[in-house]
Parts: sequence; C-alpha cells; structure tokens
Amino acid sequence: MSCHRYEQRTGRRDFLTRTGLGLGAAALSHLLRGEAFAAPVAGLPGLPHFAPKAKRVICLFQSGGPSHLDLLDEKPLLRTRFNEDLPDSVRQGQRITGMVASQARLALQPSKFDFKPGGTCGTRISDLLPFTRETADELCVIRSVHTEAINHDPAITFFQSGSQLPGRPSMGAWVDYGLGRSNENLPSFVVLVSVNAKRAGQGLLARLWGSGFLPSAHQGVQFRGAGDPVLYLNDPAGMTRERRRTMLDGIADLNRLQHVQSGDPEIETRIAQFEMAYRMQASVPELMDLKGEPAHVLESYGPDVAAPGSFARNCLLARRLAERGVRFVQLYHRDWDHHGGLHEHLPNLARDVDQASAALIRDLKQRGLLDETLVIWGGEFGRTPYAQGDAHRDRYGRDHHGRAFSLWMAGGGIKRGIVHGATDDFGFNVVENPVHIHDLQATILHCLGVDHERLTFRFQGRQYRLTDVHGKVVKAVLA
Amino acid sequence: MCDDTAMVPPRSRLRFAAGLLAGAAAAAGAVPDFNREIRPILSENCFACHGQDAARREGKLRLDEREGAVAARDGIAAVVPGRPEESELLRRMLSADPTEVMPPPEAHKTVTPPQREKLRAWIAAGAPYARHWAFVPPQAEPPPAVRLQSWSRQSLDRFVLARLEAEGLGPSPETPPAAWLRRAAFDLTGLPPNPAEIDAFVADVRARGEAAYAAAADRLLASPHFGERQAIEWLDAARYADTHGFNNDSTRTMWRWRDWVIDAFNADLPYDRFITEQLAGDLLPKPTLEQRIATGFGRNHVINSEGGIIDEEYRVEYVADRVRTLSTAWLGLTMECARCHDHKFDPISQKDYYRLAAFFNNVPEFGEDGRVANAVPMLPSPTQAQQRALRDLESRLAEAERAAAAAAERAPQSPAEAAISAAIAAARSKADGLGGCALLESESAGPGVAGGMWRPTADGGTTRIEGSTLDFAGKAGVTVAFWLRPDPENPADVPLLSALNHVGSPADSQYGKGRELRLIDGELELRLSERFPVYAVVVRSEGAGIVPGDWRHVAVSYAGGKSAAAVRMFVDGREVATRTIHDGLPGEPPRRDFLVGADNAPSGRRWRGSFDELQGFARALAADEIRALYAAAAWPAARQARATGNPGARATAWWQDALVAAAPEAAAAWAHRERLAGERFALRRSLPTTMVMAEMAQPRAAHVLRRGQYDAPGEAVDAGVPEALLAPWPAGAPRNRLGLAQWLTQPGHPLTARVVVNRFWAQLFGTGLVKTLEDFGSQSEWPSDPALLDHLATEFVAGGWSTKRFLRAVVLSSAYRQTSAVSPALLARDPENRLLARGPRVRLPAELIRDQALAVSGLLVPELGGPSVFPYQPEKLYEGIVVGANYPGTKWEESAGAGRYRRSLYTFWKRTVPHPAMTTFDAPDREFCTVRRARTNTPLQALALWNEPGYFEAARRLGVRMLQTGGPDDAARAAWGFRVATGRVPRPEETAVLVRSWQALRRDYAADPDGAAKLLQVGAAAPEPGLPAVEQAAAAAVASMLLSLDETITKN
Repeated sequence: MSCHRYEQRTGRRDFLTRTGLGLGAAALSHLLRGEAFAAPVAGLPGLPHFAPKAKRVICLFQSGGPSHLDLLDEKPLLRTRFNEDLPDSVRQGQRITGMVASQARLALQPSKFDFKPGGTCGTRISDLLPFTRETADELCVIRSVHTEAINHDPAITFFQSGSQLPGRPSMGAWVDYGLGRSNENLPSFVVLVSVNAKRAGQGLLARLWGSGFLPSAHQGVQFRGAGDPVLYLNDPAGMTRERRRTMLDGIADLNRLQHVQSGDPEIETRIAQFEMAYRMQASVPELMDLKGEPAHVLESYGPDVAAPGSFARNCLLARRLAERGVRFVQLYHRDWDHHGGLHEHLPNLARDVDQASAALIRDLKQRGLLDETLVIWGGEFGRTPYAQGDAHRDRYGRDHHGRAFSLWMAGGGIKRGIVHGATDDFGFNVVENPVHIHDLQATILHCLGVDHERLTFRFQGRQYRLTDVHGKVVKAVLA
Repeated sequence: MCDDTAMVPPRSRLRFAAGLLAGAAAAAGAVPDFNREIRPILSENCFACHGQDAARREGKLRLDEREGAVAARDGIAAVVPGRPEESELLRRMLSADPTEVMPPPEAHKTVTPPQREKLRAWIAAGAPYARHWAFVPPQAEPPPAVRLQSWSRQSLDRFVLARLEAEGLGPSPETPPAAWLRRAAFDLTGLPPNPAEIDAFVADVRARGEAAYAAAADRLLASPHFGERQAIEWLDAARYADTHGFNNDSTRTMWRWRDWVIDAFNADLPYDRFITEQLAGDLLPKPTLEQRIATGFGRNHVINSEGGIIDEEYRVEYVADRVRTLSTAWLGLTMECARCHDHKFDPISQKDYYRLAAFFNNVPEFGEDGRVANAVPMLPSPTQAQQRALRDLESRLAEAERAAAAAAERAPQSPAEAAISAAIAAARSKADGLGGCALLESESAGPGVAGGMWRPTADGGTTRIEGSTLDFAGKAGVTVAFWLRPDPENPADVPLLSALNHVGSPADSQYGKGRELRLIDGELELRLSERFPVYAVVVRSEGAGIVPGDWRHVAVSYAGGKSAAAVRMFVDGREVATRTIHDGLPGEPPRRDFLVGADNAPSGRRWRGSFDELQGFARALAADEIRALYAAAAWPAARQARATGNPGARATAWWQDALVAAAPEAAAAWAHRERLAGERFALRRSLPTTMVMAEMAQPRAAHVLRRGQYDAPGEAVDAGVPEALLAPWPAGAPRNRLGLAQWLTQPGHPLTARVVVNRFWAQLFGTGLVKTLEDFGSQSEWPSDPALLDHLATEFVAGGWSTKRFLRAVVLSSAYRQTSAVSPALLARDPENRLLARGPRVRLPAELIRDQALAVSGLLVPELGGPSVFPYQPEKLYEGIVVGANYPGTKWEESAGAGRYRRSLYTFWKRTVPHPAMTTFDAPDREFCTVRRARTNTPLQALALWNEPGYFEAARRLGVRMLQTGGPDDAARAAWGFRVATGRVPRPEETAVLVRSWQALRRDYAADPDGAAKLLQVGAAAPEPGLPAVEQAAAAAVASMLLSLDETITKN
C-alpha cells in the first residue's frame, strides 16, 4: 500500500496528554512552541545533505509579473531613447506574446518613476519601494533572472514547480518531503494568499502548492484570512472543546479496539493524526491571533495589518510561522499584470507590499531569525522595455517579459547588500551572471542544506527532481 | 529495437519478484534472470547514457542491446560473455578512479556489491538478454497445481495459492459473510449495504451457501450504481472535470461524456469497445450520438484561454496530452519521455512518439479557446430524456404537418377577395405595430416589385447603418428583417450586414471584434464576436435555401445573453433550423456601424444583389410577428404577380400561404404546426453540448518536434505505432484513430489487457500486481505475480472483455474472501499484502467516504447522471485565488435541495480549486491523466470528517435514525448505529465505549440546551420535530464519532 503519513510515531505520548482533559495554560504555551513539545518528524534519511544556512523559507510571491524596469532595474537609456523602436539587435528574434505580436512597432518605454540608492550599499531601487530601499543593506537584488514561459500559468507553475506543465510537486512540497516537519502542531508548508477584492488579477491554482506526484500529505495547507483559518478547523457552534475531547476519546478507544482485531498499523497512524487535528484546533487560532503583538510591531507592518487576508497581515503571520519552525511559508499577492495603466496601478501594488515586506525583514532580524530564514521576493517574469500599445511619458503599459527580470533574496545563507547580475541598457537581455529559475531553485534548496541533484522521487520509472535535469547553485550570492 | 538474439525463452513463467520477500533470494549459483534481476540494474544505472537515446549516448556504447554490449572496440568489450573478469562493465564499476568509475559520481547512483555479484554471475553464464516481459504477449497457462485442493473457488485462486504455498504460507480464514458483502458492495457499487440487506444476505448464506454469494454479486453488478462506482477511477484516468483548467478555469460542459462512462459500465460495454468508442467513436461507420459523445475522452484535457498565448504552442500541448493519456491509461508506458528525446529506458524513439501523436493532430481545434464555454469541436448532446422528448415532438410535428397540408388542400383556391384582403390587412396591421425602424430607403409596395430597392453603388462606395439602430447588447435583444435577392454573380460567402473587424491577424487585440450577418452557400450566418472565431457566438442556418434571382424575406432574432441559444432565423416567415458553430462569447463587443453588403476585409468581397425593407427592432420578435412582417409584403406582391398571369414558383408559394391564412380551418391547422415547430426549435437550441473529437478534411502535416518544441518541426512523419516493440498494425486497419483502437484492442497486444486488469485488481485489492499502474516499462517494478497477471489478462480477453464478468470472478474468489486481519508475523513478512495471504483493508476513496455518510444518514439522493452539482463548500474558498473576471465557474452557487446530496462523482470539479472534501482524501486535481491515487492519513482528514457541514449534517440525520429506529435504549441504539456505519455488530466492549460517550455528551448538552440547539443548525436539514434538541445533539455527536471511525472509512 502506498500509505504515507505525517508522522510515524505510535502516538503514545498523545494518549498520555489527552488524559489531562483540556490542556492547562502552561502546557498550551509549551505546545505552541513545536520544538519544545516533541522531537521533529524526520524527512528523508541523509537529509539535509550538508549543514543548512537557512532552516526555512518565506517566499513573497508577486503574481502577475511585476515590472523590473519600474521597481528594481533602473534603465536611464530608455529615457533618452523614449519612443524609439526596440532595436532588432536587442530583440534577437525573441518571441513575444500574442498580445503585442501584431503591434506595428515596439516603442521603448521609460519608467516614469525615479530610482535612488538605498542603505550604505547604495543599491538603486525605485521610489515606489521606499521601505524596501531602506532595507537595501539586507538584500541581495538579482537583476539577471530569466525564465522560459511568457504567459502567467506556465510561468508561475515553472517558478513554483520547475516545470511549465502541471503535475510536478511545488517547491514547498519538495522541501516538506525532503526535510520533514519541525513543528508537531502545524503543517510544515503553509500558504497565505492575499485577499483583496480590488486586486484580483490572474487566477492562482491549487497546484502551485500541490504535491504533484509526491504523496498528497506534502501539499501546502492554506491558512485563510476569512472563514476557518484552516478548512474545517473550527468546530460548529454548540461543539465545545470538551465535547470534542469526549468524542475523540471514544473514537480513539474504538479505533484501538479495532486495531487489536485487525492488526493494521494504519489505525495507529489514524489515532495519532486525529490527535494532531485536535492540537491544530488550538495551535492555529493561537497563531492567527495577534493580540500578543506589541503595537510598534503591528505598526511597522503598516495599517493594512489590521485587515485579515491583507499582504501585511500575511507577512506578520509568516514571521509567526517562522518562529514556530514552519519550514516553508508561501505568500501570494496578485494583480501585477499591467498591460495597460501601469503608471496608475503599479504604485498601488507597491504600496500594498512595500512596507510589510521590509517590516518582515526587520522583524525577523530583530528576533534573530533572519539569519536562519531565507526570504524571497519576486514574480513569475518581468515586463517589456517597450510599451504595450503606444509609448507615453506618463501613462503606459508593458507586456510580459521572461528574458530578464529582477527579484530579491535576503536572510539565511545569502549575501547582504549586493546586486547580482545585470541586464543590457534596455533591460531586455541578461548580459551578466544569468540566473535561470532552475538556478534559483537549486540555490534555495542549497540554503536549506539540500543538494538539488540528490533530492529525487521515483515516478513513472524515472527519478524526478525540482530542477529537472538543470540548475546550478548561484554560488556568488551565497554568504 | 530490443533484440532477443538471446538464448533464453522470452521469460520463464512463475518466477516471482526478487527481493520482495526475505526468503526469496535466488539460490547461490543460479543464473540470474535477465528481466527480473539484471535489466533493473542496467536500466537504473546505465541506460540513461548507454541506452537507446542515440543523442545522449556516451562513448557510443549501448547496453540495452546485447549486440552493443558485447561488441569489442579497441579490443575492449563492456561485456565478454562467459568472462566477467575481462568485462569492462564490471571493471569500471569496481574502479576507484573517479574519472573512470561507473556510474560516474555526478550521477549519484551506486551499484551495490550484491548487484555486482549478480552481474558477474550473469556474464559468467553467457550474458543472455531477453525482451522485457511486458512487451511479450501474455500466454494463457493452465492454473498450477496446489496442495490445498479445497480452497480455490475461481481459477485465479490456484495462482494465488500456488504462490502462497511456494512461500510456505497459507491463506487467511474466510471473512464473515457480512464483511464480504460490505467489501464487495463498495467495490461494485460504492455504497454500503444497509442492515436489512446484510440480514437477508446472511440468512441466504445460511440457506444456500455459495449460491448466496453468487446471487449477491449478481445483484450488485446489476445495480445502476455499479456504473457510478466504476466510473470514479476512470474519470481520474480520463482527466474529466467541469472546468477548462489554467488560470481562467471557466466552466465546460462534459457531463454527457461522464454519463456515457456510467452507462457504458452499466451496460457492460466490452472493454475493447469501451476503448474504441472513446478513441474513435466518430470514425465508426454511421456513428451514433452516444459513440460520438464517447470521443469526448480525447477532449477532456485542460484548455488554455489566457489572452496572448501562442495558439500553436497550446494546440501541440493538447495533442501531447492525448498521447500521454493513451499511453498511461492503456499502454502503461511513459511515452511522454520520448517527446523531447529518445526514451532513455524503453525502446521508444522520439520518432515513435510523433508518429503516435500524428493520430491526434488532425482535430479542428484552437490552442486558445474555452474562455466561457465549450471549445470546438463540439456537438449538441441531448440526454436520453431530451432525445425522447425530441422524438415525441417530431412525430407530433409530422402529424401536424400532414394535417396542415390536408387542411390547406381543402382551403378554397379562389376565396372571396374580402377574405384575402382581411388576411393581408391583419398581417399589415400587426407588422406596422411592431415598432420597427426602417434602416434603408425602401419601397413600401412589396419586395422589388416597383423599384426603390437598395443595390450597391457602382462606384463601390459603402452604405452604413448606425450601430445603435441594431443594438445587440440591448436587454430585450434585437431583430433584423429584410428582403433580399442575390444576383447570379453574388459570391458564395458574402457579408449582408457587417460590423466585424476583419483587419489584422488573430493575434491583434482588436481583430475579430464585432457583429455580422453573412450569406454563405445560401445559408445565413450570424456572428457576434469578441475575437473571431473562438470567442464568439456563430450560428448558421440549415436549409434556408436562398438562391440567386429569388426574393426572400429574412429575419434574424436574438434574445440577448451572449448565447447561441438566443438566436433564431426565419425565411419567408418560417423558422429554419440552425447549427451552433461557436458558443463562447465572453463579453459584448464594441458597437460599430454596420456596413450594408460589405465588410472591412481587405479581400473586399461585396454583396451583389438587392435588399429591401431593411428593418431593425429593439427586441427579439416572436415567430408570429416575423410571419406578419413577411406576409404584409409577400401576399400583396403575390396577388399582384398572379394578376400578370405568370406569377412564378415563389409568388405561388406565397399565395398558398395567403390562401391558408384566409381559410379559418387551414389557418388553425397551420398555427398548430407552427407551435409544435417552435417548441422543437426551442428544445434543439437548449440542448447541452459536449466537446468531441473530429478529423479535419485535410490532415495537418505531422513532424518530429525538436526538443519537443512546437516551433521546431523536424522530420515529417506519418501516423503509426511502435509495431516492432509491441504489436503489428492490424491488416486493413485505417491509418486513423479507429485503426489505432483496433491495434490497441487486438487480442495479442502485450499491454492493453494487462494494464486494464491490473488497474481493476488495484481497485479491489488496494495494490496492483504491477504496483506502478501507470508504468509497465523496463523501469517498472517486476509484477508480484506475473503468472496471475497473465492469467487475468488472457481470461479477460477470452471472456469478451467483460468488466462485469471479470469483477464477478474476483469478488467471488477465495483470495478476495479472506479476512483482512493480519498477525504481526505476517505483517512483518508482507506489509503491503503483495502475496495476498489476507484480504484487502484500505481506506476508501474520497468519493466513497462521503457517499457512505450520505447513504447511512438517509440523505443520499441516488439519482443517476445529469449536470454536475454544488454541495456545501466553504465560503470564500475561491477568494484570492480564482481569476478576477466574471467567467462561469468563478463562483460556487450552492445547489438547493437534491444537489447537496448526490453522489460525489457528480460534484462540480473545478480543476484549479477542487472541492476540499475530495482533495483532502487524495483525489487528484484532474489536470492530467492519473491512474493511481495516494492513500494518505492526515490531520486535515480528521477535521473534514468532523466539521465539513455535509458530514456533520449526515451525522445529525444518522443520530435521528439511531434515536427513532435503533432500539429502546442507548446500548441498542449505539449498536444499531455502529452496524449501519461499519456493517458489523459491535462487540460488547465497543458498545460500552459508545454508551459511555453518549451519556457524557447527553449530560453535557443537558446542561447547555443552547449549545444543543446551535449544533442542530449545521446543514440545511431541519432539526427533527418531536425529538428533544438535547437528545438530537448528543445523538449527532455520537453519530459523528461513528462516521469518523477508521473502520467506517475503510474497506475492510
């Protein structure tokens, strides 16, 4: 049988704890710090392959394709050559999307936003990201990322799973599979999606946090800003904690009697998983409850933090998850797809995420967690240096561009205050230190102490891995 | 291909998987079997660089063929038969030099010392090769001799038992009749037996013994729920869903295909037909509607509607998906590997892949389609009930037609002038009252009789009609009506009224936006389009019969709503049939002025002929109103033409219409005919469509695509199959999908039957005889019992590919009837039950866990088929995830009533966010073919069982049933509920646990009546009147415990 489990223990400890109906406050606080409660659940034997620099990852994914040319990769030449045609020597026959394929010309489009140096390192970042710019000394800005797809679905699937087509496990699932869980009361791969009616944008897909061909127990668990924080977590009105305990005790007794009869070890696992569900009913609401957060911390994330489901709130939750040892926290924020009206929409999007992203870095740092937490900020591709439609100084749009774009990384295992790679003067092609998405994935795994070539899963007669048969660790960005 | 210059027979029978069991290691000194022991070592460690992929082959050495392995180059051979010490293969494996050692360090692969020993023994024995077992057709072999003669009930039992005896094991005791019935019921119908059924069966077993089992199996096989149960696995393999996938993920309509699957299993459609109709039903001689619907199998793949994608890239992807599905579901091969390069492990070249793909390359489809509705090609697919209604309407219509004709004949041929005038006056008065807006200067006396009609100007200047006068975006719809007469030199495809942009290319964002009415080969075609042709409503008449030189009255009405069903067409006041070509208009196109008799296409085909009385109406006119428009002009014209003495056929026909209108009896008969005709058209327009396969008249050229890329065509290929590897092309078979189906279903095919029976076996026993249901290639695991697999495969084919017959034999077998209880010793020896020394015990699939809860609570609505339904789903599940556009399928609108309680295979399946009650229990997202689900055991499953409203509502209803029918006291009621949930009478200590919990919960709720009342609000079912809330709440909690038991959610 292909039965897979969150954990292999018999759950003896659980039987003991349950006898003390309703855990006391001391026990509860204990329980919430996973590492204090029980030994971590092991991943694969032999992993990590080497000493990790980062214990966990927080990926702040900006879905839709944020414009690198207006945020992280300044191109003065576009200003001087405003509205000129993109030279063929730059385009090099590169395919472009169907949306602009029949455009009469590809007119160069400068950014209307200014860039300034940040921190002592002086990394130049757009005025749209003032808070991020202030933390420049913590960041490694990579300006030479490139991908293969030119449309959202395949590109975002590629970023998250290493393949443009559905069916492969997502990065978080790979990490969960390889490294296992380090908190007994929380899943190790948590997904937080921004909920914002004004920022709908491209559809996301559950496959982005799916487990592909890995056992489904490795898929990401979405923690939600509205309704039950985890699906079906909350008991209905009229079902108290004590009553649930009574029921759970009865179920466990009956399951044990059945185990005596049948001998199937799955039953023991079932008993243990039911106990974990019961614990999650306490640990997840505690996680989501910000009452204990000091005012200055809340303020640092910006006013949106008050709104459940906001990017700011999710950043703060990401820190709380990091504190509890959750291995992979994946955020999604949508609506960066600015084919038109970029001048108007991009500042709003930047405002949504800038302060909270920077606050997360600082908050982690203050708590001594940044060194062991790898933070990544970026989207599935960048945007074109030519306008979609006509070029204008003040109002414009840009099409998808996967040949070259930017993102930043910070924290565990990554050099601080540097810029890696460069694009040409148009921001169209990478001219220095190209970083392919597979390279990025290899690097992320490397920071976690995992050799991307050796984290494999046999499926359909073949050993699969996150980076397919590609990927090189970007050593230059490693601390 | 893989040669067998080898010296051993293709393979030895009755050899078992090495290493499966501790005691099964090959005896020292024996020659290792190539397929079982040597090929896996070479395949895993060597073939990636020294296999059949010529492009990646290192050092020109290939080890997958004996010829290559033993060939000496520079005096060195990888394998020197009989001389291991001279064989480079072994020397390199033992080398300590990192530049020399094989496999190289960067491969991260190791050949273990025992494996090296095997290689040594194999080379010493002459290094015999053999074909991979799965590529050799299965042979029917007589069942082996066994010692325990009395045990076997079915021939398959002899194989199972022989294996056990060879292992020194015995079978487990038989499971009690009630346990067998529950197990078989889940496997055959997916629904648990109720206590009465169990009692009847147990009594029958006492009375009739074995015959009772056969009768029960036959009853389950005959249940209409059989088809539902068998469909579940197939829907995964066929990647069935109710949405298109990708990030728009809007609704598609494929449930008619899903119902075809259920019907096919219920009718026990032979499996070779099951394959043939799904692959090529459209290519069968005179295909039935059902056979064409079956081909929806080839269209179940995801379809991308993201703006700006490159069409060809995705069209190629759909072809690849069909190859992947075919090869996974029926060949058990990973053909996909050969898409970009020659397969590294199996002898399948990249060319083989593209030859197979060529069968699926000729579908008249688009890469980008399906933004709001089905993607072409599609087919109106009436349900059985609709087909009956249509047939009924058609026979009544034929009757009415006859009656109307007879009445028309009886009508006076020379009626009083007054009667005719009155009919004309009535028509004119009605027509005048319709509020039409004259769009062109026209002549009021009738069609073209006395000048004044509109003709294109000689200088080619265009006439425009203001867009607002024909407002297709209006709420009440629109009607356009006019007279037309094509000139003899009028082109075959010509615009009548056009506001559609033909300039640019389909890649242009403004291309194909607008609306137009065209005349194509004498038929009318209305196009309402955001991007022609896929994001459009395109409706064409069938039988309009508009010919040059003839005046006809044309009316097209559109009731709004961006739907093809809203379009009706009329010629000379009679509605004509229509055909929907596209039905996927996402939004309203921009309003533009209509060009009359012209469009803006650069090619500039222009209308040659006359128009008259062009009128617009700001609503969809009714049939009788349109008839009045026609009559008001046609009948006076006919009267006038008659006066000339030579009226011609057309005017004579109009005059006949006038005569009918003037005779009350004939007019009534005509009106009756009209009403029925209208009903028939309305029903036809409302029929659901299904996406189907079709062939282009001119096949697309097929090529090898270099590195698998859509824009890198290489060598041209014809359609074909890996004949040398698997099976010859059947003589006389056509080179199309039908021939492909014939190839696949020929009795001598080595894979098809094996793959299918292995999947059935896994469904019943939890694990396949080949564990990798999706891969029978050389990297697959050796079958746990090759002889049994071949026996099952050959029996299946010999039994006419009958699924029911096959499953009947298995559920009645002694192997299946064993208890699943396992001793620690047996568990340690065979944790996965590969030897079948016990019965299956596996957690139920997602669908069946929920179906059971609905069944035991009495909530289940056991209706078969129909559109998918929307049971409870967490609010805001889609928030932050689904596309920010109002496409169909972006909102979950919960079903009222029965839709909440249908079996789970009818739950609306949205690929990007499938129902969490399904995915939590390991259902796949159905983005591609899946034939094996994981079976996990997670805390999220516990939460779903406790708190998913459907489960808790089921617990509430089960609680009420326990209170009402369970017996006089807690113990009796608990025992009754336990039996309903698990199919077995509880032991006293189990009843005691339930009673203890029940009493504690009752005490607790008695102290908190508010809490009890609140608990009863979960789900739509009202609390049971007449039962105290406290009692109901406590019973609901106990029932929830029962529904959460491991035993309840397990097939035991």
